Amino acid sequence: MENRKHINSILLHLVLIMGSIVMLVPFLWMILTAFKTISESTQMNPFVMFPSEWRLDAFESVMTKMSFGRLYWNTFILMLGRVFFAVITATLAGYAFGRLEFKGRNLMFSLVIFQMMVPVQIFIIPQYLIVSGLGMLNTSFALIFPGLVSAFGTFLLRQSYMSLPKELEEAARLDGCNIGQTFLYVMAPLTRSAMVALGIFTALFAFKDLMWPLVVNTEQSTIPLSAALAKIQGQFAANYPELMAASLLAVIPMIIIYLFFQKQFIQGIATSGGKL
Amino acid sequence: MKLKKIMAFVLTMIMVLSLAACSGDNGSEGSSTDSGTSNDSSSSDSSSSDASGSSNVELTIAIWDTNQEPGLTQIVNDFTEKTGVKAKIQVTPWDQYWTMLEAGATGGSLPDVFWMHSNEIARYSEYEMLLDLTDRIESSDVLDMSKFPQEIVEIYNWEGTKQYAIPKDIDTIALWYNKTMFDEAGLDYPDESWTWDTFRDAAEKLTKDDGSQYGFGLRPSNNQAGWYNAVYDMGGYIISDDKKSSGYDQPGTIEAIEFFASMSKDGLMPPYEVLAENEEHALFEAGKVAMITAGSWMLAELCNNEYVIENGDIAVLPKDADSNRRASIYNGLGWVAAENTDHPEEAWALIEYFGSEEAQQKQSDLGIVISAYEGTVENWTAAYPDFNLQAYLDMMDDLVIRPYSKTTVRWENMANDKMILAWTGDKTAEEVCLEIADEMNALLAEE
Amino acid sequence: MAKQAKQKGTNRARSEFIWGWLFILPTMLGLFALNIIPIFQTIYQSFFKAGAFGRGNVFVGLDNYKRMFADESVWQALINTFKYAVVEVPFSIAIALVLAVLLNRHMRGRSLYRTIYFLPMVAAPAAVAMVWRWLYNSEFGLLNHLLNTLGFDSVNWISNPNTTFVWIAVVGIWSVIGYNMVLFLAGLQEIPQDYYEAAMIDGASAVKQFFNITVPLISPMMFFVSVTRIIAAMQVFDVIYMMMDRNNPAFFKTQSLVYLFYRYSFVESDRGYGSAIVMLLLLVIMVITVIQIRMQKKWVNYN
Repeated sequence: MENRKHINSILLHLVLIMGSIVMLVPFLWMILTAFKTISESTQMNPFVMFPSEWRLDAFESVMTKMSFGRLYWNTFILMLGRVFFAVITATLAGYAFGRLEFKGRNLMFSLVIFQMMVPVQIFIIPQYLIVSGLGMLNTSFALIFPGLVSAFGTFLLRQSYMSLPKELEEAARLDGCNIGQTFLYVMAPLTRSAMVALGIFTALFAFKDLMWPLVVNTEQSTIPLSAALAKIQGQFAANYPELMAASLLAVIPMIIIYLFFQKQFIQGIATSGGKL
Repeated sequence: MKLKKIMAFVLTMIMVLSLAACSGDNGSEGSSTDSGTSNDSSSSDSSSSDASGSSNVELTIAIWDTNQEPGLTQIVNDFTEKTGVKAKIQVTPWDQYWTMLEAGATGGSLPDVFWMHSNEIARYSEYEMLLDLTDRIESSDVLDMSKFPQEIVEIYNWEGTKQYAIPKDIDTIALWYNKTMFDEAGLDYPDESWTWDTFRDAAEKLTKDDGSQYGFGLRPSNNQAGWYNAVYDMGGYIISDDKKSSGYDQPGTIEAIEFFASMSKDGLMPPYEVLAENEEHALFEAGKVAMITAGSWMLAELCNNEYVIENGDIAVLPKDADSNRRASIYNGLGWVAAENTDHPEEAWALIEYFGSEEAQQKQSDLGIVISAYEGTVENWTAAYPDFNLQAYLDMMDDLVIRPYSKTTVRWENMANDKMILAWTGDKTAEEVCLEIADEMNALLAEE
Repeated sequence: MAKQAKQKGTNRARSEFIWGWLFILPTMLGLFALNIIPIFQTIYQSFFKAGAFGRGNVFVGLDNYKRMFADESVWQALINTFKYAVVEVPFSIAIALVLAVLLNRHMRGRSLYRTIYFLPMVAAPAAVAMVWRWLYNSEFGLLNHLLNTLGFDSVNWISNPNTTFVWIAVVGIWSVIGYNMVLFLAGLQEIPQDYYEAAMIDGASAVKQFFNITVPLISPMMFFVSVTRIIAAMQVFDVIYMMMDRNNPAFFKTQSLVYLFYRYSFVESDRGYGSAIVMLLLLVIMVITVIQIRMQKKWVNYN
């Protein structure tokens, strides 16, 4: 019995470790390739696994050709902007949809739900035309634009508010708060975990957004990381060490943040899908 | 717990800031406009705008070849020294370049000065997106349009009346070969005596059975630097002079396509999948193929590659045994200015400078490209002394302008897509060519 | 007394009305301007043909749709997208569920595993696609090298028209497993341990427990995940855009519907046609979602 459990445990770890290797191999390969020379990366007899020397050439070259500082900044603004607006609008709306009763509420909310189910590509062209009509192409505003409001966020926050005890508002009213104050001082603080979840969720997907930045901010100085990476494939086509170096520089900050804030990340994602 | 988080944040910030510090010239320290106040969508980039409104004009230049950026920046700096007008070059890879311009045009903001290509000039001219340079050219005492190849000047001349661009350069095609592989196979290096038949023989001898090395590599989509040249050698053509009919049904054309398709089918080139996944120069640099054809724009890439420096060199293209013709397709880019630029005078000054003998000379000297201005190429070959750059200049004896029409891209893409089938052997070269001819004629009729 | 209460009632109602609308105003304004109206604009756009550089919209009626129905590449793209979704979604869900079950117990290295499996999610898709493209390269890639060392022939992972979509879907699965797993873990945590304990006492094997307890009780979460993942899979773009190009023999049989949309709308400036394609996508997604919602009664277990 004891043995069986032991063997099971070993098998389990074996499976999990094999899976982990599959998860990690691409990252490892990215790292190894980035330190090689072009010749090493394409050499076949013999195949070169590890770089003979850990060169920084590819990194240097890539950093001169692309100003990563700017790319990080653009990406940061993109994420920050979207998180800011999404959280604020969604919190307000979520409270209203979840706790207040007013005419037209259900109709409005069904529009929110509807929007969640529609493929985002439907919005791209008109949104693009709006932004270019405003003359705001190639600005941070353009990047943030689609994220100004968040249907998903509204939905999430509403769930969160609905799960709070009904007595809270009564108590606040007895204390003389109006609805606004009730919201600000009593209700909102209690949904902090949902707000954080939304923030993380929005930030992550803003970071990964490719088509919109590709379409709307075409100048070097205003594109974020995702679009920049897509472009360099045309520029450094066969120079894999440089492509990998650029990729690494693009993913490492996010990975570092992730590693330190793991708990919040995972908690956030779980919350965003958890409460049905 | 909290300390860890603060540390992580600080670490990331340090990383970001240090990269910002040591990465190349980011130029505009101007902060991003996220406060929604429109910067009066001017096509010139926001310079270091001090509130005192000093006219610190900074033009935006758009190009697609990152290899040319360092050299062109030098020329731009010369211009700035002379005139005080600054300009910043932005590189967008070819694949996204036209999309980027179109997006800019739709939003009313094109770069001030940018590269134009024969593929697209018609569209831009028709919609009047470009600054008309005709009068300025006439009254300029710096420019001498007669010094540029007339065919190139013509590309950018709209309906005989408006000149929209100043020629920048020309490019030719030549043959690259791997000396080491030739030595190993006991073959003489390619020279002017080579015909396409000798070429094929050599390719056969250079192809190893184990698939580790192939004689030649060419993608179906590589027309200008590839099969177009052979087409003209063998007596065919791509498009008629009056641009009304396709030349794909010409026997010479079919012969040329068949020549390369058979090389693919006979295994003298890597399997199509390998060609599809890797560009020819990548295969050459990896020692996978012994020969490739490449345009002069590839010099910066090839001549700076360690492997190629050690093993590669350049020769003229083979000629056709019967016609003795050794054609090279050539093309020339043009410098244009946006019609709605906020700084037409400055943009013109920049273009004029680019077209001046001085700048053209420097362009060649720096080895950036073969300048279009007559007589400025003597120093070009010195840019990469280890290589036989002269081959590219020798190819200038028989130049054929890159085939184009008003809607080049449409029939070119169609032809390239179909060409794949000839390479894979799914259709014969003749079938493919006749199909292309039909569709191309239909498209040309619509123009 | 009653009058006072009524007064208070209407005051209350009015107050809620005002605050309610005030609070939802930003979101609803945004939704209208950015989402609802654009839907109609896209529909509208699909009946027009745009000129170059955004100039001149010409009304063409149903021409775009007629062209779309006759366009082989559109239907192929739709099939390609289906094929992709059919591989990506079930596998990513199944594997993630199993992983979640395995990790849903106190064990050594649990949070390390969780971290590792979620890692692909934080990497930018462009970077992910590039490294996989390199791994899959038929000539120089690591995968073929490993195969060769083991004595097998090389595989044309991403240049074989018939099988490329599978390997691209693998990249999708790799990226999203962590995400699904986290959601499932959250769902699993809601299942009371007592059920499992009771089952163990009854002598049920782990596998039996899985199918009879876990699966039914996690079915709401599975439903949520499968609906959202299918919708996402039908919109696949990033990975195809980065890994495929026109030269690739597998291109025609791999390009997705959204990729076509991008190409027509932004590369070829044919916005009207692009809009028509998006309409098709919308229709397909709606149909699939409705089917899924209907079928939910058959297999999803709500308490």
